[in-house]
Amino acid sequence: MQEKILAALKSSKADYTEIRLEERESTTVAYRGKNLETASAVIDAGGIVRCLCKDGGWGIATFNDRDNLIAKVEQAYQCAQVAHNDEPIELAPVPVREERIAASLQRDFRDISLADKKALIEGYNQILLKHSDKIISTSSAYSDSFSRITFANSEGTFIEEERPMVAVFTSAIARDGDNVQTAYETRSGQFGFEFVMGQEDKARTAAQRAVDLLRAESVVGGQYPVIVNQELAGVFIHEAFGHLSEADFVYENPKAREMMVLGRRFGQDILNVYDDGALPGLRGTHKYDDEGMPTGRAYLIKNGILVGRLHSRQTAAKMGEQPTGNARAISYRFPPIVRMTNTAIEQGTTCFEDMIKDIKLGVYACGAYGGQTELENFSFSSAYAYMIRDGKIAEMVKDVILAGNLFTTLLNIDAIGDDFQWMHRGGGCGKGAQYPLPVTFGAPHIRIQNVVIGGKK
Amino acid sequence: MDILKQLQQRTDQFEVVHVRNESTQVRFESNRLKTSQVEETKGIAVRVVKQGRLGFAASSDASATDQLVKNAIESAMYGDQVPITFPAAQSAPTVKTFDPMITDLPIPRLVEIGKEIVDYILQIEPEARVDVSLKRGIQQVALHNQTGNEAAYHSSPLSISVLVNKIQGDDVLLISDFTGTTVWQEDYMAGTRRLGEKLKLARRLVAATSGNLPVLFAPDGLLMLGLPLQQGLNGKSVFTGISPMKGKLGEKLFSDKLTVIDDGTIDGKFGSAPYDDEGVPHRRTALIERGVLKNFIYDLKTAAQSGVASTGNGSRTLFAPPNPAPTNFIVGAGDTPLADILAGIDTGLLVEDVLGLGQGNIISGAFSNPLSLAFKIEKGEIVGRVKNASLAGNIYDLLKNIAAISRETEWVYSNLNLPYLLLPEMNVVAKAG
Repeated sequence: MQEKILAALKSSKADYTEIRLEERESTTVAYRGKNLETASAVIDAGGIVRCLCKDGGWGIATFNDRDNLIAKVEQAYQCAQVAHNDEPIELAPVPVREERIAASLQRDFRDISLADKKALIEGYNQILLKHSDKIISTSSAYSDSFSRITFANSEGTFIEEERPMVAVFTSAIARDGDNVQTAYETRSGQFGFEFVMGQEDKARTAAQRAVDLLRAESVVGGQYPVIVNQELAGVFIHEAFGHLSEADFVYENPKAREMMVLGRRFGQDILNVYDDGALPGLRGTHKYDDEGMPTGRAYLIKNGILVGRLHSRQTAAKMGEQPTGNARAISYRFPPIVRMTNTAIEQGTTCFEDMIKDIKLGVYACGAYGGQTELENFSFSSAYAYMIRDGKIAEMVKDVILAGNLFTTLLNIDAIGDDFQWMHRGGGCGKGAQYPLPVTFGAPHIRIQNVVIGGKK
Repeated sequence: MDILKQLQQRTDQFEVVHVRNESTQVRFESNRLKTSQVEETKGIAVRVVKQGRLGFAASSDASATDQLVKNAIESAMYGDQVPITFPAAQSAPTVKTFDPMITDLPIPRLVEIGKEIVDYILQIEPEARVDVSLKRGIQQVALHNQTGNEAAYHSSPLSISVLVNKIQGDDVLLISDFTGTTVWQEDYMAGTRRLGEKLKLARRLVAATSGNLPVLFAPDGLLMLGLPLQQGLNGKSVFTGISPMKGKLGEKLFSDKLTVIDDGTIDGKFGSAPYDDEGVPHRRTALIERGVLKNFIYDLKTAAQSGVASTGNGSRTLFAPPNPAPTNFIVGAGDTPLADILAGIDTGLLVEDVLGLGQGNIISGAFSNPLSLAFKIEKGEIVGRVKNASLAGNIYDLLKNIAAISRETEWVYSNLNLPYLLLPEMNVVAKAG
């Protein structure tokens, strides 16, 4: 295959050409209630050619048949000539590398039988189902995937990288009359089968929480001081801030560049935020991004000040900054775009007791159902929450959805905990049509003043 | 057809779906044409029933048929026992899904249309940044099962998506529009014009009012209420017992102004085709009629589990087994002209778009979302854009009492046909300043 790839690159008439081939085998075992939904394996193999003509534009061809790469390069080249730009598109230089990266897994899930995978998730599913007669349904899934990515470009880079991923998801649905509540726990990382074994406690936690939520009242809407747990703080920094720091949003938009000018204060001195695609085992980690750029740590906020952003080669060249290894694609069907990897709020110094003790009436928001941002406005929903009364955690409440304006909210973070954690949760991030991309969040507890929470009167 | 023979010998029932898609796309980024892309997708998905157990496998590697058959049979060894029957051929409605006007559109014409859209928006808002993507394709689907049923059709999807962002200081306005059709529409600018009108209305920022107010949902915004409804009407939620509508067929659950229909037989729409993804003919199914719950939507498996017939709502992607999903989801038009509804509102809110659609515990009917695009109505007039407001509630309470539904409806998000819907009172939470 290597010879075919090199020959196809050589045949290109474009200024820059890259080829990325992918073979992915994946297995899914899923239960819904007591019924097995599926226990199945799929094979996905294909490729993408991307050509750049500097006075034209990008041309892309994606395909499943990998037999005639030279023809695909020609197709992509033709596409690249459709556009005509007066201002040439430049790519920031990156090192030329030749490397083969093999995954090393403790217990390779490809050697585990479908029967054993089924037994594992069936066990967790049974814990959910047996926990309470209030639990009327569940959704439990085991999944693994093993990808082999080959990336080569016309500058001489040739990288083969194996990317494994394993995940379990357990979700309980409890019902009492018309009241239906859901709770879930997940675990995922670039590890072997051992990583998802022994997770019975997660299943129990999800089941108990779903039952507890049945008794929770909806939160009363209003403005509150809010303590956010590690998981939700991670989702928050990803949604509310991370997406704005993706340079493709600013690089051709002068107004956005003004808004996101380096040196601008975003938070109080205690706030530090980074993205790091090189941390072993985390879901967002690869040695190289999908443009062949080595990943690493990029600080976005240091001591409250905006100090950096996430780049592809194109956005870095345009803004005169360094590429950060954040050009990622969810599969061979898509070109790489600027994405986060593993994003975190750095460890602070406040212990939880100090954070909560002065709050007379507030909300302790935990876990995440998801989040969305439209640049300066964001919304993210907690999976469960408690009222804080007189400095103590009080009754559980439900339907807590935090919303706000990024700039005011980040400045309103007035305490950062000393209990940092990476969250090994499954799921992924969506941008444009590319969903789900594996990412990881990390954070300690944080406290935010004056958060708007929608709800009943 | 080697794979069919293999399956015939080794399984009790089987279903093979061949998918072949080709598409061409041009993308404008920040007002400029940047990228053009061609895509070719091929794949095979197989389901088998062996000793009463259901198995699934899929592959995008067309040559790997032996592995595919092996995977499907192994999957069936562990599969659940489901009384599913892959159906024999039934007569299907005639539905227009293919138009050579679309497949013959030359790339320069796609570029020209894109340019026209960018120019139209820039003429309204010179400082805006416009991203436009135009994509036309040919999709071929062919399904075979053990009965000899061959359900095959092709379609010619054309999608136009427009995203406008306008930044002033720290105020970011994002407005988007999506048009999807399989039959050429001469008025391809309709979505862009709609977007342009919203941009004009959004120029003026006004302070939001908190409290109990009448709230008018525009078709785009109505999805906030439509999504929990879709989930509740899904046969799978009913079978698993999580739908609040379970066991309530024939009961009046909502205002008699509310009628909801699933219809996969309308010419040219993205949810339309002669068959669903399991070879069951599409049909028009009344789900809620004048507030009374009439039907749920089912695919073959969920229907078999529930002891009913499939409603032709089996939906799948290549790499996953089918699930019930709406085809075209329609909230029936009302009898009040939009102008009259607006004129009757003294102080209220018009909701065009929300953030975080679908997040939270929406199967329960509960939603809570900040509004990403909403307008204030004063004395029957739209007076300006409102920021930092959010809405929360539960559709099973709110939709019992609908003040009005407009005569006008719009196709939004490609397979939803929705009217303007006025709720007499909702709690609006707005952040001061």
